[in-house]
Parts: sequence; C-alpha cells; structure tokens
Amino acid sequence: MNLWKAVNKSELVAAGLLVALGILIVTHANSWVYLTTAGPGPGFFPFWTGIAIIVLAILTAGKHLLEVLRRQRVEQIKWTGNGRVLLGWFALAVSIALLKPAGFVVSYLLLTLFLVKVIYGRSFVSALSVGVGSAAGFWLLFAKFLQVQLPAGPWGF
Amino acid sequence: MEMLTNLMQGFAVALEPMNLLWCFIGVFLGTIVGILPGLGPSATVALLLPLATQMNPTAGIIMMSGIYYGAKYGGSTTSILLNVPGESASVVTCLDGFEMARNGRAGPALGIAAIASFIAGTIGVVLLMLVAPPVAEFALRFGPPEYFALMAFGLSMVVLLAGKSMLKALLSMFVGLWLATVGIDMFTDTERYTFDQIELFDGVQFVVVAIGTFAIGEVLANLGNNDKQQMFKVPKGLRNLMPNWQDIKDSRFAFLNGSLVGFFVGVLPGAGSTIASFVSYGIEKAVSKRPEKFGTGVVEGVAAPEAANNSETGGALVPLMTLGIPGSATTAILLAAFILWGLRPGPLLIQDHPEIFWGLVASMYIGNIMLLILNLPLVPAFAQILKLPGYVLYPMIMGISIIGVYSVDQRLLDTWLVAFFGLLGYLMRKVDYPAAPLILGLVLGDLMENAVRQSLMMSQGDISILYTRPLALVILVMTAAVLIGPLFRQVAAWRTKVADQEA
Repeated sequence: MNLWKAVNKSELVAAGLLVALGILIVTHANSWVYLTTAGPGPGFFPFWTGIAIIVLAILTAGKHLLEVLRRQRVEQIKWTGNGRVLLGWFALAVSIALLKPAGFVVSYLLLTLFLVKVIYGRSFVSALSVGVGSAAGFWLLFAKFLQVQLPAGPWGF
Repeated sequence: MEMLTNLMQGFAVALEPMNLLWCFIGVFLGTIVGILPGLGPSATVALLLPLATQMNPTAGIIMMSGIYYGAKYGGSTTSILLNVPGESASVVTCLDGFEMARNGRAGPALGIAAIASFIAGTIGVVLLMLVAPPVAEFALRFGPPEYFALMAFGLSMVVLLAGKSMLKALLSMFVGLWLATVGIDMFTDTERYTFDQIELFDGVQFVVVAIGTFAIGEVLANLGNNDKQQMFKVPKGLRNLMPNWQDIKDSRFAFLNGSLVGFFVGVLPGAGSTIASFVSYGIEKAVSKRPEKFGTGVVEGVAAPEAANNSETGGALVPLMTLGIPGSATTAILLAAFILWGLRPGPLLIQDHPEIFWGLVASMYIGNIMLLILNLPLVPAFAQILKLPGYVLYPMIMGISIIGVYSVDQRLLDTWLVAFFGLLGYLMRKVDYPAAPLILGLVLGDLMENAVRQSLMMSQGDISILYTRPLALVILVMTAAVLIGPLFRQVAAWRTKVADQEA
C-alpha cells in the first residue's frame, strides 16, 4: 500500500501546524519565570499548555497513520466548494483592509456586491439592491439609531 | 416562601417594559435562528454579544437566553418540513416529524412540537428555580483549590463536547487555554504572546473568537455548500396546526419523559440538548406499546425529543449560574457575556445579584408563553423565512459580525482577528476539530490559571493543596471519572470486537 497516497494529508498538515504552534508557545514560555517563591510564574501555565499541544498533535498524527496502516477506511476530506470559500474569505479580508480608508458603508457595499455577483452569480441589479439596501440599513440602525461607532471614510460614513 | 418572594421580585424585573421588549426580541430572534438551518443559537448569541454588553446585565441575559431557548422552539420547523434540523438538538425530530409531514400531518407535527416545547420549557424553569439556589449555597464553601478542581471538571466536559475525535477536542481546548494566556499577566505584569501589539495587552476577546469561529465559520461553510431542499407546505390556520385529542393522549408520557430527561441531562455540563433529545426518544421508544412504528411518523416521536431539548435549557443554566461552568457552546458564550459585564457566575451570583437570576427565571416563564403564541399561529409566516436566499442572508451576517467586534473597543485589529478566526473555524470544521472546546478553554483558562496560582500561594508552593481538601478531591475524582469513562468504553468495544473475531 502506498502510505502517502492513503493518508489524509489535511490531517497531517493540521497536526504539523499544531506542533509548530506548540513549539512557539513553549519557546516563548521558556523566556518567562517558571516558578517564584510564591508559586507558579507567568511561564508555568503556557509551558505546559504548549507541551500538551505538541504531545496531542503528535498523537493525532500517529493515530491517523496507524489507522491507515491497519488498512482501515480513512475518510478523505472533501474540499469541494473550497474555491468559493477562499474567494469569500478573501473578499472579507479586502473589505476589512478598506474599513479605515473607505469607511464601513463603502467597504461593506463592495463586499456584498462581490459576494452576490461573483460568488452567488446573481445579476448586478440584485447585487446592487442587496448591497445598497443592507449597507444603508446597517448604517441607519447601528450608526444613527443605536449610536454605534463605525469606521467612517472621508465622506463621513 | 422565600423562593416565592424572590420569584415575585423576579416578575417585577421581567415585567418592566424594556425587559419585556428584550425578552420578546430574544425569543423572536431565537425562533428565526432556530428555523434557519446553518445559523445556530451559539452563532447568534455570539453575534449579539457586543450589543448585549452595552445593555444592563439583566436585560442582556434575558435577551440572550431568549435566543437560546427560542431557537429550540424554531428548530423543529425545518426538521419537520425539510428533514433538515435547524439546530443540532432537532436532529431526532426529523425521524418522525418529517414522516408525519410526508403522511400529510405536517400541521399536527408542528403543533405537538410547540406544545411539547411549551410544557417542557416551563417544567425546566420550575426545576431550575428549585435546584439552582441550593446548589449555589453549597458552592459557597469553595476556595481557590476547589475552584481549580471545578475548572478542571469544567474542562473535562470537553469529553462530551468532542465530536468524532477526543484528541482533536483536547487539542482545540488546549489552544483555547493558550489563547487565554495572551495579554498582560495580572500577577507579574509580564507581557505574554502580545508580539508588541498594544491591542493584545488585554488579551484576545471572547467575542472575537466566538464570532469568528461560529458566525463567520458558519457563513464560509455555507458559501461552499449550494444544496437546495424541497419543503412541505405548511397548513394555514390554527385549527389545521392543532393536534387531535388522540395525539395529545399518545404524547402525555412523552411530555413528562422529555421534560425530566431534558432537565437532568442539561444539568450535566457538556451533555447538551442533542444527547437529551436522543435519550428521551430512546426511552419513549423503549416504553412504547408500538416501538416498531417509531420512525414512521408517530406523534410521541416528535413530542419526546422536542420536550427534552427545551427542558434542557433550564438544566444547562444550573451549572452556568451556580458554578460558572458552561456546558455547551451557547452557555460558554453566555458565561463570556457575564464576564464582560464584570460579573462572575458562581455561588455568589444568586446572592449578590438576585435581580439577574430571578429576573431571568421569571422572564423564561413569560418567554415560553410568548413562544407558544409565536409558534402556533405564526409558524406559516416563520416558515417563509426559509425562502430568504443565501445571497441576502450571509453577506448580512458578515456585516453584523464586523460591526459586532468593532463596536466593542473600536479596534481594527479585532476585525482582522475575526476574519482569521473565521477561516480557522471553517478549517476546523473541515478537518473535524470541534470549535466548542476552543471557547471552553478560552473562557475557563484564565479562571483556572488564577485558581492554581492562588492555591499555590496559599500553600506556599505545596502542590498537595490542590487534591487534599475533601471537596476538591471529590471533584477531581469526578473529573478523572469523566475523562477515563470513554477509555473504558473503547476497551469494552475492543474486547467485544476481539471476542467476535475469535468466535
């Protein structure tokens, strides 16, 4: 059996990232006091948390490999629709980057236009009506009615 | 007598016009959230956390709890009409509810679900009122070592929050525990994992992680899923929604069974309404005179799980309000709300803030009546919400999420963090890492670290203080039992498998 083909690579990547996180946690924790005369120092709790993450991540990867070696059926993760998800997330990230220079209303309007037009494949008119309607609704409800401070662009909203 | 006086004072609080309004908003939103598949109560409570923390704690907890138990009512609608559970606790309702709809009895199925929810929800509140104060009084004996043991017990509930893999649930919890250490250490003023970002000195906010992993994670998961379902028609008119006398007679034991099972399963932190609904369905089937009919559309198969998942709310509030232990993702977010208000759920909460506890109890009586009124005649109207297209709903959830996290401290870093945790939440779903233990670890981590350090200060570094005090020892033994339990089950399953192979 080709072990590399049979394993679920996502499982191993996740475990690898968690081991890396654990190492980062432990490395930082080592630079702080572990024990003081009055009890545990600031490094005590994170140190053991990091160790636990490393051990558990290795065990998770090991358990997965054992399952593969026993020729048990290993469920492969379906990444269908993943492109839409990444595009959606990227659009969210861009709209967050635009919050400061363009304000909430414009950045959210652009996010909605992109999601409705590109991700959901609706017409531009639908995208525009959903975007303008919800952006205006949020602005009126939160900024005007509830007095919630939202990031404002050069045009004041 | 004292209890009645307290309850009357609770009603005085709950009947204040603004609190009534927040209760209505909570149960109304809860019903909608329950109806919408994919958007659970935990995501909604997380979304509204920033708004709730701007309110006074009593009004805030009345609204957020309204969402919590309101979603249980609404969850049955999609189970019955679409065979898609609106939230996880309604999975069992699909079994007989959808079959009833296929048999042309969608109306009585929706009706019996609402009636069972009302009866059990009310019984759950009565039991909450009777059980919570004595539990809180008992917990007043707790010192830091007992709190450490209690936090360990709370964290052990990860066993019950775990999905397919215990190791993954534990990893998720430890990442939450690590996140709780980010910020300035209160004992020594040491900066931990702040990476020189001033915004991180106060730590990572619960709101950001909860909204990110639950709400944004859910939206991203829905962006990748384009399935469409066929819905059965909802009968119009109250008369067509009412179950007949035989239905009520067939369901009478299911009402009681579901109410009691739901409450006591709910008291066990971590067990949750999904387990409660499965257990009550199992009991109902076991004692039924017609067990072979279950799954073909029997009315008690709808009444029992619906009663259980509603009564469970009252039970779940017992450990939250009296011990500060959240037993589910939603109660973990409610705990976060209490902490953001500067309150500490625990034995002193009922004593120091009776208006919050008794106001909530009274509001739950009122909320249950509101829900019955909303759910019986308005089910056809609510069912129209299912026609709200994803391209309208999901961008709006993203917008509310951004507003939600930004409004807490007006920090742009929080909006970046919510995007990061959103992606993390989505990836966790894909690789089967449950998000609820992450929240559990984040919420309890700080309290646990403080309890350990205070205990060791008391004993001048002697670690035996953590396990030699009788009460702490008992709780630690219980913790060990909860953690070791699944191992025994695995060993038993393995032995059975070996025995079968040898035979």
